[in-house]
Amino acid sequence: MWKIWANPIVRRYARSRLRARGLGVSLLITLMLAGFLFFLSRAMGDRTDLSLVDLARIPLIALLVLQGLILFVLATGQMAGGITAEADEGVIDYQRLAPMTPLAKVVGYLFGLPIREYVLFLATMPFSLWSLWRGEVPLEIALQLYGVFMIAAVLYHLTGLVAGTVVKNRRWAFLLSMGMVFILYTVVPQASKIGLVYFKYVTIEPVFRECLPHLIPRDLGAGVQTLRNLVPPARFFDLDLPQAVFTVVTQAVLILAMGFMLWRRWYRAESHLMGKVGAIGLFAWVQVMLLGNALPLIAEGAVFPSRMWRRWGSPWGYEWAPDPEDVVIMAGAYGLVTLFMLWTMIVLITPNRDRQIRGWRRARKLEKKRLAVGSDPATSIPWVGIMILMGAAGWFWFTKEVVESDWFGGTVMPIQGGGAFLLVLATAGLGFQALLEGKGVRATSLCGILGGVAPILVGTVLAASSEKLIPLAIWIIGISPAAGPIYATGAVIPLADFEGELMRGLPRAFWFWQVATALLALDLIWSLRRSREEIAEKTLGEGDHPPLEE
Amino acid sequence: MTGKAGPQGAAIEIRDLRVDYGDFVAVSDISLSVPFGEVYGLVGPNGAGKTSTFKVLATLMEPTYGEVSLAGIDALENKEEVRCILGYMPDLAPVPSDLKAWEFLEFYADAYALGSSKERSERVAECLEIVSLSGEHNSWCNQLSRGQTQRLVLAKTLLHRPQVMILDEPASGLDPLSRRELRHSLQAIAREGASVLVSSHILSELAEMCSSLCVMNQGKIMAAGTATEVRRELGRSERKLAIVVLDRHEETASWLEGEEGVLEVAEFKSNGQQIIVSFAGDDTQQAALLTGLVQQGIAVKAFEETSSSFEEILVGIAEDNRKPGEGATRVH
Repeated sequence: MWKIWANPIVRRYARSRLRARGLGVSLLITLMLAGFLFFLSRAMGDRTDLSLVDLARIPLIALLVLQGLILFVLATGQMAGGITAEADEGVIDYQRLAPMTPLAKVVGYLFGLPIREYVLFLATMPFSLWSLWRGEVPLEIALQLYGVFMIAAVLYHLTGLVAGTVVKNRRWAFLLSMGMVFILYTVVPQASKIGLVYFKYVTIEPVFRECLPHLIPRDLGAGVQTLRNLVPPARFFDLDLPQAVFTVVTQAVLILAMGFMLWRRWYRAESHLMGKVGAIGLFAWVQVMLLGNALPLIAEGAVFPSRMWRRWGSPWGYEWAPDPEDVVIMAGAYGLVTLFMLWTMIVLITPNRDRQIRGWRRARKLEKKRLAVGSDPATSIPWVGIMILMGAAGWFWFTKEVVESDWFGGTVMPIQGGGAFLLVLATAGLGFQALLEGKGVRATSLCGILGGVAPILVGTVLAASSEKLIPLAIWIIGISPAAGPIYATGAVIPLADFEGELMRGLPRAFWFWQVATALLALDLIWSLRRSREEIAEKTLGEGDHPPLEE
Repeated sequence: MTGKAGPQGAAIEIRDLRVDYGDFVAVSDISLSVPFGEVYGLVGPNGAGKTSTFKVLATLMEPTYGEVSLAGIDALENKEEVRCILGYMPDLAPVPSDLKAWEFLEFYADAYALGSSKERSERVAECLEIVSLSGEHNSWCNQLSRGQTQRLVLAKTLLHRPQVMILDEPASGLDPLSRRELRHSLQAIAREGASVLVSSHILSELAEMCSSLCVMNQGKIMAAGTATEVRRELGRSERKLAIVVLDRHEETASWLEGEEGVLEVAEFKSNGQQIIVSFAGDDTQQAALLTGLVQQGIAVKAFEETSSSFEEILVGIAEDNRKPGEGATRVH
């Protein structure tokens, strides 16, 4: 399996995607672009008094951007589009039948589908290698940069492959993969600026920043290096790790998770992308990473958003201290990310009605009295419950550490705050789970739009139109379960010191909508229970078999 | 052409197979056994459950429940092992648009690890020869005609000399000559010991090709056995005989009307030379009818069972399905 060049799927795509006719034009365009960037930046540098070494470094970043475009964008789109095209044409069934292991198939697609883009990338490398050599960039820096670059490329490609495996329509697969890559590796990492430091390690940014002083002219690099020295290495609880190592570990875990998803699908086409235990594992991993990266930075203040925003333009030696709003933003963001992650896991592990029926019938046939708890057709409620507990614990721990840090001397995070966080995750998580499992994707999507997105949009418009409408807007936005984490932090954190109207309205809106959502969630869970019993009874009614229990 | 005679026992064994799509029952607790060395036909109207059954057999779909084994290997537990001995040709036989015919086959020869590069190339050429596509060796897959595409996929199915072949509507889109070639090819494969399970919604086509038949409808097996047994089991024992006589047409028709087993002498075609007879007798009576005609001194040019009687069985089943209250099986 590890002989990638001998993998039949890689060879198949090497044949089809490296034909002179198709490759020639792409190669020509790539070489022209790389040459243009290389010679243009050198020509511009020639007009300055830079030394030969500094001059050689100038094209490096432009070439890196071009290489990123080829490997991160074009190749990722090709991954999603290519696998969907196979499904669309119907030939993917032949691949399923080929007696190769699921892992060999995943590896085959991973390195086969974007093979043209790899060749295009290699075509740009002579320009980069020349610049690295003549620019006297240390070898370890070059290896570190391109090593992480390639690992990130594999991660992005796997993301595209997962998107293409899930979506059946070729065009949608391309758009979804691009959307997923953009959200996961561009939008989500922005959360690192509001305390969730872990997310920056899913991109090559930390390593790029670390390498940057060596990729630009030396005088400029020295200045950047001075600033870089102020940035600590990656922290994980009490461990200090180089940024590159931490980035590689972070991305490797995600690669493993996505590889496992694809393995499951190739092993059994009907499988959920993630098993229930796997989902718990991934959820726990992200929680631990979020805490492990953020907690050690609280004492020195490096996680507070206001420090980052005020760093530039402030006089040297400026005395900075975090604002209470920092805590609300950070704790709210932590809760929001946890909630979104919970919803994502729920989507991955919750069985639809069809799968439940099949599961019950299989159990009946095998004369089993219950569904295996970890099997795909089994309800995901207990697993969601575990994730809710883990998420609430992580969220509370993070918030407590921030609130009770030396920055806010003597402030104590009330234990009831943990209850509020648990309530938010439980109502939004279990309500969503019960809706999805009991009513299906269509009903859940509709409820998500009407009850989740619309209130935020309406409330925002109201708040923007008049200050007098802000209290009303707060109540309307509070309908959305997605607002729960922000409202919870605003309502229970003792530091939150909002303006009078806001301070009075927000906690009331929070508790009111939490109670309302909890009642709704209970009703949905009750309804789900009835629905599952109904399925079990009907399945039981199909023949003489022992009664079933879940 | 394919794998030599398989192990003792059934090539395909299905027990209590069920496939559901939500509330819809596509295949309802069927059991079936196909011995080695046989071309076995699965026939039924659209929606009968043939393709679902085939997908389960081909390890492409997980059934709701049931046991499936190919050449004694559990197809649900040992998928990769089963895939080594299985050749599957799906309905509509898709081909990739970015490969040439030989590349398409070479890829699968590679995936099935069929020896060295030279051995693989030889096997590819051999399979193209078997399906009479040697001339299209270098053609793009998506530029082949429908019939050629079917044959190309059949060649791909033959590549690894499977012990069990599962062909979903392999003859659809083929011209009569190609159909005949396909029939001969499949029979030759079966003679070498492999087992071929083939589906069609055209019963007469399968009756010519298969040693045994199984008729499916609404996810259930309605009848199984030889063509005659199937006809008898379905309670539609009458068949149509087309008799072409050179002269004495009226006299022949009158004589036929009085014979045992003859239900109706219905039509005269082909300038009055052809007489179509509805006949309810068995094979012995049918032979006796021919003997009688000859003994009467009637110049019989042709005496054959028409395929339409087979078609009428399926048409009857399909019409029954369309009657209100007799639609597809639903359990919820």
